[in-house]
This record gives sequence, structure tokens and C-alpha cells, in this order.
Amino acid sequence: MKQRKRWNILWYFLALVWGLMTILPLMITVFSSLKNNNEINMGVFSMPEHWRIENYAKANETANAFGSIGNSILLALLTTVLVTVVGMLAAYILARKKLFFIKPVYLLFMVGVMVPVHCTIVPISGMASALHAKDSFWFLVLIYSAFNLAQAVYLYTGFIQSIDRELDEAAIIDGCTDVTLLSKILSPICKPIIATEAIFVFIYGYSELIFSLTLLSKPEKFTVSRAMLNFTGEHSTDMGPQFAFIVMAMIPTLFIYLIFHERVESGILSGAVKG
Amino acid sequence: MKGKTKKKEYIIAITFLAPALILLFCFIIYPVMDAAFLSLHSWKGMYGQPKKWVGLDNFIKALTSGKFWNAMLNCVWFMLGSFVVLMPIAFGLAMLITSKLKFTRIMKTAYFMPVMLGTTAVALMWTNILNPGWGALAQFLRFLGLDSLVTDWLSKPVLNVICVVLVNEWMFAGYNMLIFAAGLVSIPHSLYEAALIDGCGGWQRVRYITLPLMKNTFKIFSILAFTGSLKVFDIVWAMTRGGPGDVSSTPGIILYTEAFQYKLFGRSSAYSIILLVFGIVISLVVNRIFRQDEEMY
Repeated sequence: MKQRKRWNILWYFLALVWGLMTILPLMITVFSSLKNNNEINMGVFSMPEHWRIENYAKANETANAFGSIGNSILLALLTTVLVTVVGMLAAYILARKKLFFIKPVYLLFMVGVMVPVHCTIVPISGMASALHAKDSFWFLVLIYSAFNLAQAVYLYTGFIQSIDRELDEAAIIDGCTDVTLLSKILSPICKPIIATEAIFVFIYGYSELIFSLTLLSKPEKFTVSRAMLNFTGEHSTDMGPQFAFIVMAMIPTLFIYLIFHERVESGILSGAVKG
Repeated sequence: MKGKTKKKEYIIAITFLAPALILLFCFIIYPVMDAAFLSLHSWKGMYGQPKKWVGLDNFIKALTSGKFWNAMLNCVWFMLGSFVVLMPIAFGLAMLITSKLKFTRIMKTAYFMPVMLGTTAVALMWTNILNPGWGALAQFLRFLGLDSLVTDWLSKPVLNVICVVLVNEWMFAGYNMLIFAAGLVSIPHSLYEAALIDGCGGWQRVRYITLPLMKNTFKIFSILAFTGSLKVFDIVWAMTRGGPGDVSSTPGIILYTEAFQYKLFGRSSAYSIILLVFGIVISLVVNRIFRQDEEMY
């Protein structure tokens, strides 16, 4: 018994170490975002003496922090909605209909998961020039959705298949069409998996980098990742605002995580999301 | 009557599937085919300019360049990091949060957080921490009187790759923790009780019950680790831009710079096809290895 207690202390100690490893970098960044260069050089671990909130205003002025965060939230929201709707429509057919082309179409989606994003940047930027779609958000939303669709279809199809078919039959006898069956009956049951996947799609859309790097050129259209990279690349003299931008960029996703963390965790724990 | 309903079924199936299929074709299947086409041509990337047929020239140049093999070597660092650093940490954390200790819920929430912050933000945060001047790590080492250990971590060859790999593991430890935890909670508790009655110690229980029953989880982890390492882009780009020179480049970065800095769009496409084939081959091989294992037992 005594030995067991000793083991427990060791485990708690390890838990604390990794906890500090996780939290400390964030704390350092938040502290530094409220200091000026001198104070950062003096020590990053201490609490700031004067809270220099003006760093945040400066980050917004010079790097358009708010604007770029707004752009990214907009892109992420539109992508999430599109992936959910398009994914559910496809998953319903793949899970419920018995037609000759269902299997090949499903396989096609699974092949889609295997394609790395980078393999498509050159052709897609060619498409964007041909369609005059550079700097356009709708084009980015379509791309982001396409790359998240395969996983969404896979998850939704699996979930719908696990719902008893008798429910469909009862609904059809009561006069449901395919549209009402999907929207009024199956979708509410799928809520847990839709929520889990939606959070991951949102995070992807919010922090995506490579397409915003290749397809955007106007600074007012920059996404968070792009604007943040530019800011640290060009203005390396004043450190405080750079830290402030990093902190601001993390706030939306952190906020979502703190609200929905149980959803995210239980989603992965039930074996739903597998990359 | 029956023919009519069948026809209606088809119409509904096709309309429901159409948006998804259109997205899939326009942004994944067509681009891959286009990349395959471009990889056999020389093209400066200007829209409307002619594409010149060069056969396998792009592939030969790609596969014989030192840049490419250096990038592949960096991928190997990422793979090594996944198995040597990430797997033990993630597995340990998974044991921790599925144990009977207190505060496991807070641990779970805290440990998982980094992956939700977004790669670029995490990368820039750590770039600052690793700065030799004002960075937290340098300040900490100086505080301990270990000034000699302070160097410019992110611009020394190989050292910078290792730093990026470690930051990557920091970010994904919590995510993989949940993948392993999912495997751990699926093991029936009665097995452990039976083992306890048979007199198995703690380590034996892990070795003979936990690990064999988590084979599928390890398979998922391995596939994610291998394919993820081939795809790495964001974190390296944000921390080192692949530099100095091409020292810390990954294949993803090389194919980006070949296209958008050197305007070698054909060469870049050759890299992307190579990358795609590698990814598929590795997934198949990993699947095969785990299947063979199953037959052995």
C-alpha cells in the first residue's frame, strides 16, 4: 500500500511537469505581450509591472490584427457550414441507399483522404489565375471544404450506418421524404459527431497557412496565420506587439476549446477522429 | 410504379452526392491529375504560357538533387521524433488520464490544448522562446549559469530541425494522448483483474495485456506519424522558412519554394507526385506489417 502511494506521488509529479510544460509557454507569451523590449530582455518569466495594453493597439494598427482575425473567423465559419451540409447530404446517400455506384463513390472519398494538401498547390493556384479567383474568399472556402470533406463524409457515414434503419422506415410511413428524413430526423441524432467534426474543421479553417500563402496577395485579405508571419518577418524591432498579436490570434480558438472541450475530447475518445 | 420509384431514387442520390463530388473533383482529383501532367512538362507558371514536354527530366532532376534527399532526411527526423519522443510521452499521458488519480479531467483539458491553438501561433510562440537573445530558454540557461549552452538554436543545421521536431511533439502530445486513451479505455477491465489474480505485476500487465490489445491504436498512430511527417509544412515554414539555405526544408517546403520562388512549376509537380506515391506506399506497408503480425498471433 505504501509503495502504491509512492508511485502515485511520482505520477502526480510527472503530471505537474507536463502541465507546466504546456502552460508556461503560454504564460510567457501573455506576460511578454504586456511589456516593452527592455522589460522583455530583463526577464520573460516575471509578471509585467506596467500593463502595456497599447501593444495590442499597436499590433492592430501595424499588422491589421483584428481585420485578419475577422477574415479567418469568417473563412472558418463558412467552411464549417459548407462541410457539414455537403458532408451530411453525401453521407446520407452513402449510408442508406443501395445503388450500384455507392461503393465506388465511397472509395473515391477515401482516396481523397490520402492526397496531401501540397500536391495540389500548383494546379490550384493555376486554376485561381484562370478563374481570376486570387484574393477571393469563396475560392478559399471551397478549397478548405474540399480538403475536409473526405473525413467528414467518412465520419458521418459511419455514424448514420449505426442508426437503426427501422427509424427511417417508420418516418417514411409517416410521410417523410428524403429531405425531411435527413434534416428533421437523422441530423439531430448525428449532432454529437457533427459538433466534434465541426470544431476540427473550424480550427483548420482558422489557422490554415499554405493556401493563404499562395492565393492571397492583398494585405487586407490576409488570414491570421499569414498576417502574423508577415508581422514577425518585417518588424522585428518592437517585440511587445508581436507577442500581443500571437495572444490575440490564439484567443478565438482557445475560447472555442474551453467551451467545447468535453465535446472534442469525447469525440476522439470514442474513436471518431483519426486524422 | 417500381421503375418510377427506382428512377426517383437515382435522381435523389445524384443530387445529394453532387456537391460533394464536384468539390472532390475540382480541388483534389483534377489537381492531382494536373500535377501528374505538369510533372512531365517544363513550365514557368505564367498563365497562358506554353508548357514544354520534357518527359521524365523533372523526376530525374528531383531525385538526384541533394536538396530533395536532405528534405527526406528531415522527414526521417520527424518520424524518429514521433516514435522516440511523441509516442512515449503520449502513451504516458494516456495512462495518466485514464488512471484512478485525481484531477484527471483538468489534466486532459490542459494537455490537449496546444493542438487547438493553431500551428502558426504555436510556431511563433516557440520561435520567441528559442530566441538566443530575449528567449525564455536562453534566459533560463543564463539564470542557471549555463551561458555556454545558449546558441542560435534555430539557425544551426540539424539542431534547428530537432528543435522544430520537438515543438511539433509538444503541440501534438495531447492529441495523440487521446488516441492512445481511446485504445486504453476499450480494454475490458476484467482482464486486468484476472491478471492480478494470476499474480501479474504492473509492468507485466502492461506488457501482456495493454500493448497487445492496443495493436490497432499503434497502427493508427504509425500511419498518422509516417504520413504526417511527409506532409509537414506549416510549423517548419513558420519557424525557419526551411532555412538557413535549405537545411531545415521538408519536401512540402521544397515543392513550395521550387514553384513560387524559383518558378519551376514542372519540377515542383514532380516533387508532389513523388510525395503522393511515398505516402500511399508507406500507408500500405504499415497496414501490411500490422496484418502480418495478426496472422502470427
